[in-house]
Amino acid sequence: MAYFKFDHIKIRGISCVIPKNIIRTEGFKDRFGSEEVDKFMEMTGITQTRWTSEKQTASDLATAAAQNLIKQKGLDPKEIKALVFGTHSPDYRRPASAFVIQKQLGLSTETVVFDISLGCSSAVYGMQVVASMMVNSDIDKAILVLGDTTSKTTNLNDRASIMLIGEAAVAVYLEKTSEKVSPIRSLLRSDGEGYRYLIVPAGGYRNLNASVQEEVCQDGNPRTLHNSFMQGTSVFTFTISDVPKAMKDYLAITETTIDNYDVFAFHQANLLIIKQIAKKLKIPMEKIPLTLPIYGNTSGASPLVSLCEFYGNQEAKKLKVMMIGFGVGISWGVTSFEIDTEDIFPIEESDYCFAEGFIGSVSEL
Amino acid sequence: MEKILKILSDVRPDIDFESETLLVEGGLLDSFDIVSIISELNDAYEINIRVHDLKPENFNSLSAIQALVERKLSEK
Repeated sequence: MAYFKFDHIKIRGISCVIPKNIIRTEGFKDRFGSEEVDKFMEMTGITQTRWTSEKQTASDLATAAAQNLIKQKGLDPKEIKALVFGTHSPDYRRPASAFVIQKQLGLSTETVVFDISLGCSSAVYGMQVVASMMVNSDIDKAILVLGDTTSKTTNLNDRASIMLIGEAAVAVYLEKTSEKVSPIRSLLRSDGEGYRYLIVPAGGYRNLNASVQEEVCQDGNPRTLHNSFMQGTSVFTFTISDVPKAMKDYLAITETTIDNYDVFAFHQANLLIIKQIAKKLKIPMEKIPLTLPIYGNTSGASPLVSLCEFYGNQEAKKLKVMMIGFGVGISWGVTSFEIDTEDIFPIEESDYCFAEGFIGSVSEL
Repeated sequence: MEKILKILSDVRPDIDFESETLLVEGGLLDSFDIVSIISELNDAYEINIRVHDLKPENFNSLSAIQALVERKLSEK
């Protein structure tokens, strides 16, 4: 079992940025028909989302979120000694997007910088990776950034996925402390048998000549090999069985109960999934912040987007948070931590785009 | 059988579940319907339908769904 416990690491800040562009679910009625869109909204709870513009990337959103975090916390960027970016929407095949963020933030060359290729579980995995590095090094200040731009690889006529997608990025500031603080704990799991459940088949090195021809898939939706594909029923079925099991195991290992947590920050997959898990674990819905209706499924950032939406303007108090992530890989996990609400910042909008990063011709290299 | 029939009819009142035998392969049930049915069956019978159970033949007819439920109950 991959269970982790980190003492003397504290989450001191969470900042979130969303794109300015609003996508209203009702707007898909012309494309998919009223009945189907109404059914989708009832099932998922999603009425609108945010998408980036064509050239705005996940690293742009992440940079804006990290810049906001640095400003809010009054940090000197040179003090940050680790920057980890969890994304499956990198700017390039190489280098990792974290380096592009590092440049824009002005972090020192003494900083450890890399990407983690994960989607909807990147918050729980990312927290474990950064905390692990910190406890085994002299790194005392680190930033984890998470973000995806899934709309860019999803076919506009893919009725199984396109209306689900929202885009956002979060930045989390972790600090080593000598104070006695509640430990960060994580339980992580994965199952490569499900590598095809959520996949973009082209763009890697397996099929260098992947066709851009659109075809109708088995589920009746048109896609190219460069588009996202989701086996929705498999993902749903895995989620409502394996995720609650991991949560129950986590409660048993940590000798805690549902009552010990103030908030359950779920990956915002869809309303039916969250309600199913809540029912199985007997979690009161009022302990689950939901941002699906207004931001959609914002991938790995989503549990923290919800914290920023609901606690970004609240009076100072301590929150015991259980965070649950699950998705591409397939991978899933549970993390718990304590945070002061004054360290959770309100969501900001940004259309920031790193223009220098766009390379449109080899003559620009 | 009646309990399952009620669950199915609540999800899709427009389908005659007692006579249809190609619910999935005939395109009568979409993925939203399947996940709703799985949720309801899991709750009603306290079973755990898993990814490897997601074969069309397990959801093509009322009798196939009943057989799946009985199998899951026997695995408990």
